[in-house]
Amino acid sequence: MSLLPIQHRDALSKGMVLLFALPALLIPTTVLCYIFWQAMPVLSLSFVFGSADGIGFGVTEGVFPQLVGSLLLAVMACLIAIPFALATALYHRTYATPRQQRWLNTLFTMLQGIPPIVFGLCGLVVLVNLFAWGVSLLSGAVVLAVVVLPLLVLNTLATLERIPLAYSEAGSALGLGKGAIIWRLWLPRCWLQLLTGLLLAMARALSETAPLMFTATVFSGVVWPDSIFSPVTTLQTHIFYLAQEGNDPLVISIAWGSAAVLVLLVASFGLLARLLQKLGAH
Amino acid sequence: MFQRWFANALSGVLLAGLLVVSLPAASVTIKVAGSTTVLPILTEAAKQYRVIHPELNLTVSGGGSGMGVANIERGTIDIGMASRPLSEGEAGRIGDTTDVIPVARDAVAIAVSKAVYESGVTQLSLSQIAAIYRGEIRNWRELGGLNARILVIDKEASRGTRHVFADVVLGNPRARAAGATIVTGSNNEEQSVISRSDQAIGMLSNAWLNDRVRAIAVGEDGAAVLPTAENVAKGRYIIKRDLNILVRKHSSDEVKGFVDFLRSEQGQAIVQTVGFHAVR
Amino acid sequence: MMLRWWLSISTLLSSLTIVLVLGFLLQSSWPLIQQQGIAFIIGTEWYPFESLFGMLPALIGTIWAVALALLIALPCGVAAAILCAELLPKPLRGSVRFGMELMAGVPSVVYGLLGMWLLLPLLESQLNLLTGRTLLAAGLLLALMILPTIMVLSEDAIRAVQQSQREAAKNLGIGWDATLWRVLLPQAWPGIRVATLLATGRAMGETVAVMLVVGSIDRIPEPFYNFLQPAQTLTSRIGREMVEASVGSLHWAALLFCGLMLAVVAMGIALLSDRRRMVI
Repeated sequence: MSLLPIQHRDALSKGMVLLFALPALLIPTTVLCYIFWQAMPVLSLSFVFGSADGIGFGVTEGVFPQLVGSLLLAVMACLIAIPFALATALYHRTYATPRQQRWLNTLFTMLQGIPPIVFGLCGLVVLVNLFAWGVSLLSGAVVLAVVVLPLLVLNTLATLERIPLAYSEAGSALGLGKGAIIWRLWLPRCWLQLLTGLLLAMARALSETAPLMFTATVFSGVVWPDSIFSPVTTLQTHIFYLAQEGNDPLVISIAWGSAAVLVLLVASFGLLARLLQKLGAH
Repeated sequence: MFQRWFANALSGVLLAGLLVVSLPAASVTIKVAGSTTVLPILTEAAKQYRVIHPELNLTVSGGGSGMGVANIERGTIDIGMASRPLSEGEAGRIGDTTDVIPVARDAVAIAVSKAVYESGVTQLSLSQIAAIYRGEIRNWRELGGLNARILVIDKEASRGTRHVFADVVLGNPRARAAGATIVTGSNNEEQSVISRSDQAIGMLSNAWLNDRVRAIAVGEDGAAVLPTAENVAKGRYIIKRDLNILVRKHSSDEVKGFVDFLRSEQGQAIVQTVGFHAVR
Repeated sequence: MMLRWWLSISTLLSSLTIVLVLGFLLQSSWPLIQQQGIAFIIGTEWYPFESLFGMLPALIGTIWAVALALLIALPCGVAAAILCAELLPKPLRGSVRFGMELMAGVPSVVYGLLGMWLLLPLLESQLNLLTGRTLLAAGLLLALMILPTIMVLSEDAIRAVQQSQREAAKNLGIGWDATLWRVLLPQAWPGIRVATLLATGRAMGETVAVMLVVGSIDRIPEPFYNFLQPAQTLTSRIGREMVEASVGSLHWAALLFCGLMLAVVAMGIALLSDRRRMVI
């Protein structure tokens, strides 16, 4: 290679990069377009906000219950995880010794890597059977909470670490206790970033399927959950069941429609997070 | 100020949360789970039963006959669905505390892709089917059909349909199928694969047959039998089974009521609408 | 002091999750190890009915699917990152990057749909396969899933290389080509390595999409590098069999052992990719 003149080498390298990069950029875009193109026949306001009677076979249109189910699970999961995540990050920042800090970092980095299906397995035995919560909103939410916990912890930690030490020192010099420093100095300053982290966690919780399949959802019989011990239906598992049919063109369209709705839902949280990030930068 | 806004938001969320948590379960729930073959019957029956008894809530899940039996054993569901009889081990464990109630009769059809059927393979003997599933016959050409490799679809080992198939065709409900190409789970999944292929063979409940998924007649030349309703009723088709529900002996009145509904005329009419044969 | 108490308890509880999960997995898979030693890890046959719990087919399948995914996604992702960071004009850069970040959040079940209805027919027709349900299909889907992650993180890593480096290279008369290969990439390498490890972890743990397209048959491909055959991965096995195994049985212990293996390897990978420990 080094014998070729510079212009040729440059062109060659650029060409190679282009060769590998184009599929990487084009294929995902094509895929997204394909999803929405296939969903076109079915997508409409009544699809998103209507409801099919108890689903099951003979699927008809309307995914609102599934949409609500997915959101309920994600929101509950985040609500369960936030206090723990916040507390852990605050402890890390205020009271933890360097050794404890290293331990916490390691623990949560490791937790982050565990495949969600493993949490689903544990949830099935411990929550659904042992605690006898049954297949329910609560079981699913707790399992999801464990899935998003490391995300929230690490994110909150990163946010807190950006607060300059001088800030907190000024606070203690003024006689503020630790609690006041946290509540009056830190939180007002970084609540936007914390919210961003929360939105990202929501997006993550909305896209998990495997841990929910046998801990929170059933095939039919539930439209609206009447308590936290009732099973729910979610967009993710709805798509999963529909994927296994796939003969009836209507069913296929509904599956794509549900997929499109789910993608939009997840994307909107991601977009919102991005927007908040930009706002926070100002 | 920020703190006030935050405090207000937090209390609002907590209040909403408390409301959700404190809502008692509005009605009695009957939980049903198990075989995907029996699933359409119970799903439709649940829907109709709710019209008569709107205070009840019925949730229905798939997962396979194995799951139905396991969950009845664990006690996490009220009604289990199984498309096969209990095995010895299972009968030993739960036979004393559980009733096995047939709600329908079904045939396990040997289903092939439309292209295979139209190329001439319209009947096979048990030994031929066994040979296909053991991997001894690999091409449809050897059976008089088109020149294409056989896509042998097996089912997950705990599925009721597979249990019955293996029992009759391979001689042992737990027999292995060395010639299997892929493994599918629910009836839906298998039907989907067969209908999208031109070379497939699989085991499907009778109710899942359609234009692209054809049943072949099973038996020796001249005595081959199609799984029609008449043949199933008269017992001529050999790969047949009762579709059962498993109910604990001391269940609540609501569960007993639903079971009676399934065995009533209305329930049996549902069974036939879905595509199975009623239980006499 | 109340504050400290509260914070400590909460931290303790959340740190306990990982201990509890691992402990649970270990305790539940112990009966299997007790009965069969650890020989089953390299056993080649998985047949729960006969108490055969060979992990090898699923292990090989997992390794192959992940390897294929990385083989495809790594060059393409890094190339896209180079394109975005170095070659594209500024306005385009932002939107491409943004698009990729959005793609990274697409749920895996949507990829499962794509795999089943778009990829499988494509593979079957283009490669003249008996069935598209192969390790290749799984690998391709996983590649699509991890591509955005690799691209976004690699782009971060390349952009993080200081501008002064590029200017110094320019001043020395080194062309774009050499700057890329000898200055930028080597310096961005630690970040790219982190991206690869994270992507590997994600690919390894993906369940739903893989379950639907890999064939789910517990068989070692023949020859062992033949990824055009249906096979099984650890996650697919867990996903398909977790509801059917009766809790407490050996089958259940074996499934939890699969989960344990996944968790341990994933944790190892996560530790390796911890950015705080990055040594340049």
